[in-house]
Amino acid sequence: MAAAVTMRDDRVFVVLLILRLSFCPCLVGGTNEYKRQLTLELNPNSTSVPPGGDLLHVRAVGDNDTLHFLWCSQGAPTLLIVHTNTSNSSVQVNWTQFLSRNVSGGLSVEPQSSIQYSIAVVFSRLLEYDDVNDTAMPDSDFFPPYELQNLNWTRLQLFNAKALLCGETPEFGNGSLCLTLSVFDSDGRAESWPRLLHSANSSQLEVWLHGIMPRSANSRFLLEMQAVGGDFPLSRVDVRQFIDDEFTPSIFKVSQWVSPVKGGSDVSGYVQWKPVAYRQTNPALEDATPCRYSDPQTQDGNATAASSALIQAFFSQHNITGLNVSFGLAGEPFYNSTRFLSWTMLVGVGAPPVDTFSPIVLAIMAVGLGTPMILLLVGGVLVCLHKRRQGSPAIYQPIN
Amino acid sequence: MADFVERQNLLEDDESSPAERRSASGDDRPMSAICDPSRLPHRAVVLVFMCFLGFGSYFCYDNPAALQTQVIQDLNLNTAKFMQLYAWYSWPNVVLCFFGGFLLDRVFGIRLGTIIFSLFVCVGQVIFAAGAWYDLFWLMELGRFVFGIGGESLAVAQNTYAVNWFKGKELNLVFGLQLSMARLGSTVNMNIMGWVYNKVAVVVGSPGPTTLGASLMIAAVTCLFSLVCALVLGFLDKRAERILHKEEGKTGEVIKLTDVKDFPLTLWLVFIICVGYYVAIFPFIGLGQVFFIEKFNFSPAEARAVNSIVYIISAPASPVLGFVVDKTGRNVVWVMMAVVATLAAHMMLAFTFWNPWIAMSLLGVSYSLLACALWPMVAFMVPEHQLGTAYGFMQSIQNLGLALIAMAAGAILDSRGYLVLEVFFCACICSQYFYLSFLLVF
Repeated sequence: MAAAVTMRDDRVFVVLLILRLSFCPCLVGGTNEYKRQLTLELNPNSTSVPPGGDLLHVRAVGDNDTLHFLWCSQGAPTLLIVHTNTSNSSVQVNWTQFLSRNVSGGLSVEPQSSIQYSIAVVFSRLLEYDDVNDTAMPDSDFFPPYELQNLNWTRLQLFNAKALLCGETPEFGNGSLCLTLSVFDSDGRAESWPRLLHSANSSQLEVWLHGIMPRSANSRFLLEMQAVGGDFPLSRVDVRQFIDDEFTPSIFKVSQWVSPVKGGSDVSGYVQWKPVAYRQTNPALEDATPCRYSDPQTQDGNATAASSALIQAFFSQHNITGLNVSFGLAGEPFYNSTRFLSWTMLVGVGAPPVDTFSPIVLAIMAVGLGTPMILLLVGGVLVCLHKRRQGSPAIYQPIN
Repeated sequence: MADFVERQNLLEDDESSPAERRSASGDDRPMSAICDPSRLPHRAVVLVFMCFLGFGSYFCYDNPAALQTQVIQDLNLNTAKFMQLYAWYSWPNVVLCFFGGFLLDRVFGIRLGTIIFSLFVCVGQVIFAAGAWYDLFWLMELGRFVFGIGGESLAVAQNTYAVNWFKGKELNLVFGLQLSMARLGSTVNMNIMGWVYNKVAVVVGSPGPTTLGASLMIAAVTCLFSLVCALVLGFLDKRAERILHKEEGKTGEVIKLTDVKDFPLTLWLVFIICVGYYVAIFPFIGLGQVFFIEKFNFSPAEARAVNSIVYIISAPASPVLGFVVDKTGRNVVWVMMAVVATLAAHMMLAFTFWNPWIAMSLLGVSYSLLACALWPMVAFMVPEHQLGTAYGFMQSIQNLGLALIAMAAGAILDSRGYLVLEVFFCACICSQYFYLSFLLVF
């Protein structure tokens, strides 16, 4: 079961925790119950620390398939997931070609025939605009964008199954843009809001804008991402509504940027997020700020490949779409109020995870709604029996 | 039936005496109908002032709900602290409901008492607004506390005036009208405070505590208006007393705390049902605006409108449903129906994305139905000399429940979101079935 959950109101939810642990995992989560074996490798087969950025390879081996997660900070930060149908596939890196960044083939997954699907997400730019009239319409007053390939990226820091990467630049002041990749071996739910439900086929990326110096008092930010979907590009964003906001209070929607398989409603890969960002590290309900996305549009493949070493090395043909996620709505506080924004997304293959109720809510519903119904039925039956037993009372009593 | 006839006779007695009294006092100047306290036009004027007496208090009671996002954002609160504003209104009334009638009868008299309570309402709202202006949350809580002292007792005073000026079959209509005016106050508040805030924000320059404080001060004008009504009513009542040689009205309430031990079990069940029901209505309306914005994608103005539909519906529905319940009797069945309807409404809001107008309208009807069916039940269960104590107790427990649940609702929302909050309300209402089934058996 997922690691011990830290909640803000411990007293009430010790009970919840006990109940959760006593329910079998199959009741929780709408995803497949794979468990994968994870192995992490930093800069595989490299004789020295590569200049300019790291490459992290996580191998998640299932029963008869493997997911290769590649997280690279050479150029723009890029996450690549390759799904193969054998548990013996491996990643080969030709570091000279990889670091030269002008030919493809520097990174390959062997055997090539086992590759089922690959999806990559590139964080290309951070845009900032001056929202003078507090309309949150990002169509004018843009400051020069930050190209994320030009940031000074720190070395990847690894702890548990997470990798932290921070980028700094003099224009940020003392601030940084941090990205945390988490890879999972089974189903579960993250501990901090928005508590996205993940499966063994997904990875989670958290984006933090931490202490960045805004260039105006009314600045708002947009994050531009580009995605490569192998044969099926990520062409549309689905928005799904659901009634349970238990894990992300006041958010009833989830957005999924999917790559639909031609001719069907199946999807082969996805980027999933909830339309909320938080303005504090340990957020409360009122620190939530909504976010919006723009429609996915085709991007120039050559420019993307030039900005990201991983894209250049792995993909030979580039079928790239991109979108912006903008943080904040009209009336919401600006970035300057807390100088912190955090936003979380899931990237994975297959169908996106579907949220379900927690056992405690189901239990309350069953007890709370079921018991009175039963009581009502029983009570009604009893009253009817009581009335029938009384019979019709005689108005006149016999005198003797 | 018997005491209705009795009341009719008393009424006729009353009507016939003013003429004799007037000639006895030697005052033959014929007064115009509108100045004559015994004639209908004058009493209609008095009725207008009586209705507006409570307007300010009901208008300002739901100010936090109408400005929920602004209050939370401008003062950096969380939902639990926001709900404290409602809790502090209820705390004084846990105790005061017992003593309100006593204070009005024995200590102040109805006229002075009404003016004092109106002052409390006014001053409370001003303190509340000042607390918002200077960004001092403790001052806002104090303001709501003072406001609470005045608010509920003012309702008792309003009822006393009504009984004093209108007797017999007019009384139901007057009570209905007073309730409608109260609901009108709440509705107007829900729908215009947002607009007022936006206009003030333009003048002040930006949203913030100053804007919030200024908007609440503008709301305090309604309380001032109610205070003026109280003064006018006091004057007119004194004048009527002088002309008609009437006694100053009394609430007729006798609160004896020792009566509590005589209450039957069924009465305690009614108390519990009352609490369990209202805690699923008022805290929900307090937190409703953001719920409708987030879940159903309503604009803030739309969300406020749908939040206020409960009050809008109860204004015309209360007299109609009261009439129906009076005619058919069987109050317990009507209460049961109201509880079922409320549960259905909460389940619709929690588990579906159906248009919330439907659920909220259903909630409005069931809320009116319950009020018409539940409160009169107390009169069937206790003898008349204990009625004051019973109602006082009922109000007191209701306020205690509201205060506690308001805080709990805020805390639940902060940590677990709206679905769990709705499930909690559903569970509260479901527990009612349990008690109602006992009532049916007994």
